[in-house]
Parts: sequence; structure tokens; C-alpha cells
Amino acid sequence: MNNVIIDGLSFALPLFIMAIGGIYSERSGVTNLALEGLQGMGAFVGALVAYVLMRSMGTNSQVPYYMAMLFAIIGGMVYSLLHALLCVKFKANQVISGVVINILAMALTTFMTKAINRSVFGAPSDKFELGVSVRWTVPGLSKIPVLGAVFTNIYPFEVVIVVIAFIAWYLLYKTKFGMHVRACGDNPHAVDAAGIDVAKVRVKAVMMSGALSGLAGISFAYSISAKFSSGIYVGYGYLAIAGLIFGNWKILPTLGACLLFGFAKSGGYQIVQNLGMPSSYSDLVMILPYVVTLLLLMFFSKHNQAPRALGEIYDKGKR
Amino acid sequence: MKKNKRKNPAGRLFVKLLGNERYQVISIPIFAILISLVVGAVVIGILGKNPVSAYGNLLQGSGLVPKAKYAGGKSMLTDFFSFMDYWTPMIFASLAVAVALKAGLFNIGVSGQMLAAGFVATVIVGYSTLGAPVAKPLAILIAAVTGALVGGLIGFLKYRFNINEVVSSIMLNYIAEYIIAFFINTRFVDPVSRQSKAVSDASRLTLPGVKIGGLKMDIPLGIILAVIAALAIKFIFDKTVLGYELKAVGANRNASRYAGINVGKNMVLSMVISGALAGLAGATYYLGYYASIQPRVLSSTGFDAIAVSILGNSNPIGILCSSFLINIINKGSTYMSSTAGLDAEIASVITGLILLFAACGEYIKYQVKKTKDKMEDERRNAA
Repeated sequence: MNNVIIDGLSFALPLFIMAIGGIYSERSGVTNLALEGLQGMGAFVGALVAYVLMRSMGTNSQVPYYMAMLFAIIGGMVYSLLHALLCVKFKANQVISGVVINILAMALTTFMTKAINRSVFGAPSDKFELGVSVRWTVPGLSKIPVLGAVFTNIYPFEVVIVVIAFIAWYLLYKTKFGMHVRACGDNPHAVDAAGIDVAKVRVKAVMMSGALSGLAGISFAYSISAKFSSGIYVGYGYLAIAGLIFGNWKILPTLGACLLFGFAKSGGYQIVQNLGMPSSYSDLVMILPYVVTLLLLMFFSKHNQAPRALGEIYDKGKR
Repeated sequence: MKKNKRKNPAGRLFVKLLGNERYQVISIPIFAILISLVVGAVVIGILGKNPVSAYGNLLQGSGLVPKAKYAGGKSMLTDFFSFMDYWTPMIFASLAVAVALKAGLFNIGVSGQMLAAGFVATVIVGYSTLGAPVAKPLAILIAAVTGALVGGLIGFLKYRFNINEVVSSIMLNYIAEYIIAFFINTRFVDPVSRQSKAVSDASRLTLPGVKIGGLKMDIPLGIILAVIAALAIKFIFDKTVLGYELKAVGANRNASRYAGINVGKNMVLSMVISGALAGLAGATYYLGYYASIQPRVLSSTGFDAIAVSILGNSNPIGILCSSFLINIINKGSTYMSSTAGLDAEIASVITGLILLFAACGEYIKYQVKKTKDKMEDERRNAA
């Protein structure tokens, strides 16, 4: 049971923070299928920085770990400017832009990882080895039955994510900026009439999604395999999108959806292990989160309401 | 893009080349391709290789330009047939994406549908003892039906339960990937290759190792079907009521509803057709180019197809051209990497760049129009 909670959380939280990024972007009216690419590029930049730092500072220092997070956020944010540029300035189709950015990120990270490894570090490899993350256990709280697992073996990124998620929630629902974001996705013309630059708000929202996706990407890199290669993050961006649509573009229900994905995944693994089934049966259990999602969506999707202006290019002249 | 704004000869050249609206459908993608090839060449140059010979290697690897030397029993034609063999599923998959796009749906699950169709056809026909005249058509039929069912399910979930097709197709991708991996690993695995056992030659849609004039080559039968499918889709969209309704639903769902078009039926139908095409892609991929299925892997073809379809403007003829181009880059990259010593991944970077510039098509169009108008104003003022 403890393992289910520990592993479930370490998978659900990065997914959640990425979904929050998606919520920002989509609530501002920019469809964001690019989450996948944003997290990949963010993780790549973060991992590269950590790898370089580790060579000079040794593997015991925790500095590379935090610098990796910082640079993953920056990397994701900078790369997301491309999506913002295409969608807001160039008025490209947002779905297409998202897919293109994913394809390009996948190609670029694979290519650059190989090229940098060979030319700079002189080692033919398609991945960056990262140090193993420290894990924290809160002394008193971890002794509580069942719930104690939440405070056991925490990755530092989980704490960072919880803090940032709370700030992001506050920013979106309780501040002026958050209101502008939400208004841009529902009625950009009204926002414009109120004297606010729709394009600027949208670019900021997309950058937010890039930053949060980058954080998610590096978290996956540390929790799943302690190394970066383009293979480790395939598909989680789309899963985050599923989570946010499932959560009806609202932050709290999205948390529920992501926890569901996380626990279904870790729970499935645990079942296979406990029953002592051969490893090929884990494939069968792996479908659990997806089947559960589909079934739940059948019941809850009817009332799902996407932001009204989602995917629409803002055109001042149009009414 | 700033170049267009200046009053220099470059701006005039741009307008001259891209200004004619009638040809912009073709001229702008070509412009995007050329820019990306130039950017790609710069990258290759920075890596210290010769871009011209690297691009030449791509064409050689695809069997479009002769290589310096060939192994025994091989020739340029061998490479070209292999190129076509790989091209076939790409055409089908891109058509699948295009049909859904026309109806306003985004079928990101082509890879999953390909896998499901390929697996069902493999198990039912590929492992049977049927003779070639029965097995080949049956494999195609079963794959198309399986694909259509999966695609139709996505359309139905959208229509009946309002489930976003992007989400449901991604979920189905995963479900297909894992369930099929389970069955392959427990029942159909080849202990040596770790893939599914090879299908019978009778059911395979590619004739492997056929000897023509002392040369060995793999003859892809599906390519004929793919070209026919492209023409058929073009006919449906241009000349039939069904095609008109699908396009109307894609352009504006509410307007079509007011016009009396059954939106739900058309959405499901477009996904059925899209799924069937994806199924055909699966058949020609898993029972054609390859003869087995690698468990827990979705083919990249289904995702590349999205790109190809966008580049081809969702037009079947455009798709034939764009898939040809992307396929040169994909297929030729292996030869390029072994000859020029470049990582094969540079090919996907170039593909990504092409798509990036193609996505800017609207903006390029807008800038060209702006420059053109400005130049006309100036001419008028001068006169």
C-alpha cells in the first residue's frame, strides 16, 4: 500500500503541474498539444546543465539537481515562445503548431543529445546520466498509518511542485492576471475592449505552460530513470492533456484526474508483483489508467465545457 | 520574414515568386521546404560535413539516384522498390489523418489503429494456411474493418459522450499498445527476435526477394492500392454529397446543423473512413514492409502522417507529393548516416523544420499580400 502511494504521487505530481500549464494556456484560448514537446525540451536543457555541473562538482552535490530544475523551467519557457509565436503572432492553426512543436522537440532532443555527447563529452551515447535524487522522509508524520506514506520517500521536486501548484492556483483564480487569462479564453473581444492586450496575455499564458512543462519533464527524468533520453517522456504530455480535459479545465478536478492516473499506474504494478504474475502480465495491468479514464469520461464528459474561444485565433476585426 | 517589408529587390522577388494566389497552395509549401533544406544544410555544414553530398545520400538511399557501388544482386531499383514499400503505409496513414481533418476531427490515434489492424490481420490471416489468392485480399479486408471499428469507436465516443477525440484516441493508442504486447509476449512471440512470429509469405502484401533479371527486390503490392485510395478520396471530397457534407461539418459544425446535415453521423462516418485507411496502413506496414510486430512499440508512421497531411494541405494529391518527400528523408537517412557519418536523427530534424515553416504558411501568405498591396500603392502614387 505504501509503495502505491509513494510511486503514485511521484508520477501524478509532475503530470499535474504539466496539466496546470496546459490549463493556463488553454484558458487563455491557445490550444496546447505542445505540452509533450515542451516538457521534452525543458528536461533536455535541465539534464544538460545538471550533467555539465556534475562533471565539475561531483555526484554528491545537490546543486546540479536544483539547477536542473531551474534550467528545465527556463528551457521549457523559451521553447514555448515558439508555440506562442506561431499561434499568436503568425496566426497558425494551433493544433498543427502543437504537433509540429512536439515532432521538432523529439527530433532536436534526440539529435542534440547524441551530437553533444559525442562532440563535447567524447562518448557515443544517446542519454545523459543524472545523479540519483535524494529522497526525504518527514520524521513524525511518516509514522501515521496509511497517510504516512505521503510523507515517506518524497522527491524534492514533489515539494517544489506542490508549492508552485498552489501559487499557480492562486494566480489563476485570485489575481487580476488570472482573470485576464480566463477572460481571454472566453471572450477575447471583451478583454480587448477593456484595454488589455490579448496577445500579450496569451503569450504569457503559453510561457507559463512551457515553464511548468519543463519542470514536469525534468521530474520525470529523475523519478523514472535517473537519466535523460528522448525515450523517457514519450506520451506523458498527452496524458496531461487528457487529465486537464477530464478535469474540465479547472485546477482542482485536474488534480483528481492526475492522482487517478498515478495511483492506477502504481496500483497496477503492485498487483502484478503481489500476485507473483509473470512480467508480461504487467502489460495487461498497464492499461488500467487509460480504461478507467475512458469509462469515467463517458459519465462526466457530457457537461464538459471547453473555454469558449479555445483554438480561435484572435482577430480584432472579427466579431 | 522582415525581408518582405523592405522596399528592396528581395521583397519584389518574393511577390513575384509567391504573389500569384492561384499557385500559393503549391508555391508556399515548396518555399517552406526550400527554407528548411537551407537551414538543414547550414546545420550539416556546422557539423563539418558537406550538405550537398549528404542530401545526395538521401536520394541515393531512396533509390532515386544511383549509389557508387552496390552489393551483389542489388541495384538502384532494389532501393527504389524498398522505398515504395515504406512509402505505402505512409500514404494510407496520411490519408487517414486528412479525412478526419477535413471533417474537423484530429485523429492522433492512427498509430494505434494501425497496430490493432495489423495485429488482428496477422493473427487471423498471417498465421493461417490460406493460399495467396485468398489470404492477401482477406488480410486487407480484415485490417480495414478492424481499423474502421477502432476509428468508429472514437467517432462514436465523441458523438454520444462528447469525449474529445484527441483524448480518446490517445487512450486507445495506449490500450492497443499494451494489450497487443501482452498477447504477443504470451502467445505469438518469436523467442529469437523478441517480436511476433513472422507471417506466412502467402498473406504478405510485399513479395519479398523476387528475382528480376538477376536482381533481388521486394515488390510492394499495396502501393497500387494506396494510389487508388488517394484518387478515391479525392473523388469523394470533390464530387460526392458525402464529401461535401464532411467538409461542411469540418468547416462549421453549427452552420451544417442548421443546413440539415446530420453532424453526428458524419463525424462517426469520417472516423470510420479514417480508421479504415489507418487499418490499410497497418496491413501494409505489419504484413508488408515488415512481417512481424514489435511489442510495446507504436510505429512513428502514424505520427509522421500528421505532418505529411499538414504539409500536403490535407489534399490527397498534395499528400502523395509530401509523403514522397518525407519518405525520401526517412528512408534515405540510414544510408546518409552510414556514408556521411551524420546521425540519422538529423533527418527528423529537417522534417521538423519543414513542418515548422509549413505551419507558418498563413503568415507567409499574409506578408506576401501586404508587400504586394504596398507595392501597388507605390506604383499608383508614382504614376
